[in-house]
Amino acid sequence: MDFPFVREAVVKLFSRPSCNNYPFTPREAAPNYRGRIVFHPETCINCNMCERVCAGGAIIHTSVKNEEGDDVITRSFDLGSCTFCSTCADFCTRHSIELTQDYHMIGIEEGDLIVSGTFIKKKPAPKPAPKPAAPAAAKEEAAAPAAPAVKPRGDGKPAQDPDKCVYCTICARKCPGEALTVDRKEKTWKLDEDKCVACGTCADVCPKNAIVI
Amino acid sequence: MFQKLIAESTAKSPWLFHINSGSCNGCDIELVAILTPRYDVERLGFKLAGSPRQADIVVVTGPVTKQSLNRVLSTISQVPEPRCIVTMGSCPQSGNVFKGSYSVCAPLSQYVHVDVDIAGCAPKPEAIIDGLAKATKILKEKRGRM
Ligand code: SF4
Ligand code: SF4
Ligand code: SF4
Ligand code: SF4
Repeated sequence: MDFPFVREAVVKLFSRPSCNNYPFTPREAAPNYRGRIVFHPETCINCNMCERVCAGGAIIHTSVKNEEGDDVITRSFDLGSCTFCSTCADFCTRHSIELTQDYHMIGIEEGDLIVSGTFIKKKPAPKPAPKPAAPAAAKEEAAAPAAPAVKPRGDGKPAQDPDKCVYCTICARKCPGEALTVDRKEKTWKLDEDKCVACGTCADVCPKNAIVI
Repeated sequence: MFQKLIAESTAKSPWLFHINSGSCNGCDIELVAILTPRYDVERLGFKLAGSPRQADIVVVTGPVTKQSLNRVLSTISQVPEPRCIVTMGSCPQSGNVFKGSYSVCAPLSQYVHVDVDIAGCAPKPEAIIDGLAKATKILKEKRGRM
């Protein structure tokens, strides 16, 4: 009589078990595993890009005014609604979102699966007078044919070079704060200073490099 | 005396019943993975039961589609108390990417009490083992209260 696999059976009887004995031997996730989200509120500028790209609708933020009139912004990530696609982290221009290798995500009580962070966004109000003047000056300077290129404004907000700009409207469509109005027919490019959060997305997406930050 | 023996044995070996409520199969594959020799949860006493009437822990995967809602609820109601309901993956907890769809009834927690949520999409097998260990603990507490 022929007994197949007898050799294998005997060899396996004395070899190490293939079981990795998990709860007793802790295991690390593979490199680049996308687990628990860690949010760094210090660097977040509240551009809301992450909320717009999140497929699972896992990100929300609340904003309340404190006594000084600054916005206290709390952004929370619901891990129970997240697909761990890492799109939010990829789109965050400030690298405020990190998907860690921690996979122990068990929720028993409400809030166990919520990751959140709070930061204060200072009111930009103190000097309202020079503000409207500055972009007008910048525009005049840019509009003058002699000006070789636009100078960066220095405050992180975008300035447009009308010589390079083709009014494609990509920046306006990509702006997470909806701060840009670009009209193709009228050939105008307008920035809403109050809505702009100086994220730099417009400069990144401009195919003509017509925006300087 | 026999009662005590039975109670002790059942506490050591909770049986699982798996309900797929329209999952993408990612979570189901991971749940099957924990029964393979690599993770081998049977060494911890977990066993996949064939019928909800024999189960202690119900594992629900998927976003609870309209089609499956009544079937999920009637299956859960057949599991004898004390039972522990575990949702696995983001789908039954919130609807995940299917949130807002006309055919999805998630979250499951609006219909039944959910004891443990295992987050992930799909959760890592180790995370499932963690979650089941928590479920066993909760089950023990529930038995103690009965
Ligand atoms: S994308 Fe980044 S900087 Fe923008 S709101 Fe989200 S976390 Fe903050
Ligand atoms: S990882 Fe994906 S699903 Fe999760 S919060 Fe980020 S964008 Fe949303
Ligand atoms: S105008 Fe540019 S820098 Fe300002 S919010 Fe929009 S994309 Fe960001
Ligand atoms: S949580 Fe993710 S892997 Fe699990 S069923 Fe839902 S979509 Fe699929």
